[in-house]
Amino acid sequence: MSRLFRQRAVTSLFSLLGLIVLVFFLSRLTGDPTSLFLPIDATDAMRENFRELHGLNDPLLLQFWHYIVDLTHLDFGESIRKARPAIDVVIEAFGWTFQLAIMTMALVAFCAIVLGSIAAFRVGGKFDRLVSLVSLIGASAPDFWIAIVAIVIFSINIGWLPTSGTGSIAHWILPIAVLFIRPFGLILQVVRGSMISALGSAYVKTAKAKGVKNTPIIFVHTLRNAMLPVITVMGDQAAALLNGAVVVETIFGFPGVGKLMIDSILQRDFNVILAAIMVTALAIFIMNLLIDVAYLFLDPRIRY
Amino acid sequence: MKGKLLLAGAMCVAMYAMPAYAKDSKDVTIVLSENVDMLDPCMSTRSNIGRVILENISETLTELDVRGDKGVMPRLAKSWEEVNDTTWRFHLREGVKFSDGSAFDAQDVKHSFERTFSDKNSCEVSRYFGGIKVTPKIIDEHTIDFTTDPAQPILPLMMSLLTIVPSDTPMEFTRNPVGTGPYKLTEWKPGQQIVLTRRDDYWGKKPAVEQATYVSREDSTVRAAMVAKGEADIAPLIAMQDATDPKMDIAYPNSETFYLRIDNAMAPLNDKRVREALNLAVDRDAFIGTLLPKGVQKATAIVPPTTLGWNPDIKVPAYDPDKAKKLLAEAKADGVPVDTQITLVGRTDNFPNVTEVLEALRAMYEDVGLNVKLKMYEVAEFENNYSKPYPENRGPQLVAAQHDNGRGDPVFSMYFKYDSKGRQSGISDPHVDDLIARATAATGDERKKLWSELFAYLHDDVVADVLLFHMVGFARVNPRIDFTPTIATNSQLQLSEIGFK
Repeated sequence: MSRLFRQRAVTSLFSLLGLIVLVFFLSRLTGDPTSLFLPIDATDAMRENFRELHGLNDPLLLQFWHYIVDLTHLDFGESIRKARPAIDVVIEAFGWTFQLAIMTMALVAFCAIVLGSIAAFRVGGKFDRLVSLVSLIGASAPDFWIAIVAIVIFSINIGWLPTSGTGSIAHWILPIAVLFIRPFGLILQVVRGSMISALGSAYVKTAKAKGVKNTPIIFVHTLRNAMLPVITVMGDQAAALLNGAVVVETIFGFPGVGKLMIDSILQRDFNVILAAIMVTALAIFIMNLLIDVAYLFLDPRIRY
Repeated sequence: MKGKLLLAGAMCVAMYAMPAYAKDSKDVTIVLSENVDMLDPCMSTRSNIGRVILENISETLTELDVRGDKGVMPRLAKSWEEVNDTTWRFHLREGVKFSDGSAFDAQDVKHSFERTFSDKNSCEVSRYFGGIKVTPKIIDEHTIDFTTDPAQPILPLMMSLLTIVPSDTPMEFTRNPVGTGPYKLTEWKPGQQIVLTRRDDYWGKKPAVEQATYVSREDSTVRAAMVAKGEADIAPLIAMQDATDPKMDIAYPNSETFYLRIDNAMAPLNDKRVREALNLAVDRDAFIGTLLPKGVQKATAIVPPTTLGWNPDIKVPAYDPDKAKKLLAEAKADGVPVDTQITLVGRTDNFPNVTEVLEALRAMYEDVGLNVKLKMYEVAEFENNYSKPYPENRGPQLVAAQHDNGRGDPVFSMYFKYDSKGRQSGISDPHVDDLIARATAATGDERKKLWSELFAYLHDDVVADVLLFHMVGFARVNPRIDFTPTIATNSQLQLSEIGFK
């Protein structure tokens, strides 16, 4: 296990470094924050002063060197836009995204696994067809539309929930519900497919012949074997959520990392872009590691 | 679906967690369209920051009357006079305290001025003083002189932009704004909310609003829904398609002027007949009430009619595609390359329907035989085409842009948009340069006359650009609130102007 960890840490470190180099230079090639921060009628002296203040006058390679040296002291630089340390801005936003992602994925995993397994047990039955239809609709509906419709129905017409924002438990319900729909539909389909093939195995027949009840067959014997592809897809979906749910964050006014990244890219707030990429990359690295560990437990034949 | 069941269950919790809005509450919630990144008083000319800070937390020496026509009014300065051609003297109000308890005096004014021009920050306000050397001199505790080079006849108006901070404010950007205004910052959770609370020791009249909470939502539908539902009281900016309730929604001039800048240096745009054709080919009425809201006004100048020197004698070019075709044919006969491809440059998200509006303009130009290609850019890329130095090998360009000047005087626009050296000027004309220089230095009726002359010359003789519309914005205001947006609502939102019905 520790070898697995070491291996992954080394490869991840290299890809992270590659990412930093790429993002550092590409973002600087695509635009200058000076004209985006300052008003369009700013004087030349103001522009010059701004560039000097933020080290934008130095040659690119020198800027990169300064950045890397600061980074070794865990100094991620200042956000140009917010005049405070970039890492503080990112961690604040990532906290929101992380909570949103965890709660959504937990709910998705629970619902998709239970409903998918039951659907797979009677393929073509009424329940199966209903679940498949609902999950297909969920997987294909655009989330910005769902979000707006949800606000109109639940906040304005019925008036049960706040439209948007943060502050109470009620504020979390609509964002999670909207985020839930797509991964739920997708993962439910994977669970169902994977369960159908697992339920056709010889050991299920044996269990049935021995008189084992349906519930233990599904949830004890088969599910564990069917989980591998499910875990892989769940990892993908969780990574997407950790990168921030831009649409949901924008509509519901959730101060998450997805919106922060998009804004920082548009405003060329380089330090925030880089810090956000590093923090999310770290989170995804940890998550992938957890998935590898989960594989080990689920299938003892796997060796790293 | 299971999700819905869970939702229904959680709703019981929600009912209890909902904030209660008492009908007689003197607190207001304002939902802005952009997140507020910083709250430094010297950045309050930026609209999203100004709406929170300007005249709420931080005050200025003078204030422009946007509701009446009193012009420049006193605020922190009681009065002012011209000592000589280059020196203005301001007499400051006495007995004023900052929210941190310190007393307001001439030293604070001097510091605020110096801080704005410090090289340790990027304060926005300093742009209005570009090319001017200003020297503040303290006469006594409540009197200060400003000596300017060259003379600044509108220095009192310019002082309406300079926010006053206490003299111990560091030069670097601060996240803790302190001012003399009727409110102080009591909470700031970045990305969530900003709370201002009324001060008991404010020098002026006590405003009705006790506490103001600012939140931001980028989606206009959500902003409109929040006011409709009572979660917010004022949404200063909602989209036209969301302004569906005449009881709550108010259209107001947002001080933006939409125009096409013509690159006068490039063939075929360097020919006046082509520029005239560009103006005649546009059916301006076709946009009003369709792609653009009903209240927009056809423009004859880059500044709105409320500006000094705005010239009522200038006529909006009539829609006349036949005359446009004739002018282009004449130009072609004289060897002007009118078939050259012209790029129409636009900015995505500049205003609602911008892409459709530019597509329609492009189609109108094609109808008269011009070869126009539309290019939409995001803001950074757009900026490269909008401001000097313009890109090499750009070819002939029309740049579609909005310009905002609700500040009452053309000086904040004209140099920059029309002078040969102006950063966003598409023309180079010595007579224009001369008129701008003279108008900038003039006062009173002379100033008004010179600006009027300049507007007419630019519109009728040079045909510098295609001036299109003075735009409107929509605000949604909860019926319990008494508030009328004005042309200044684009840059500030004074809580003291809000009442309760």
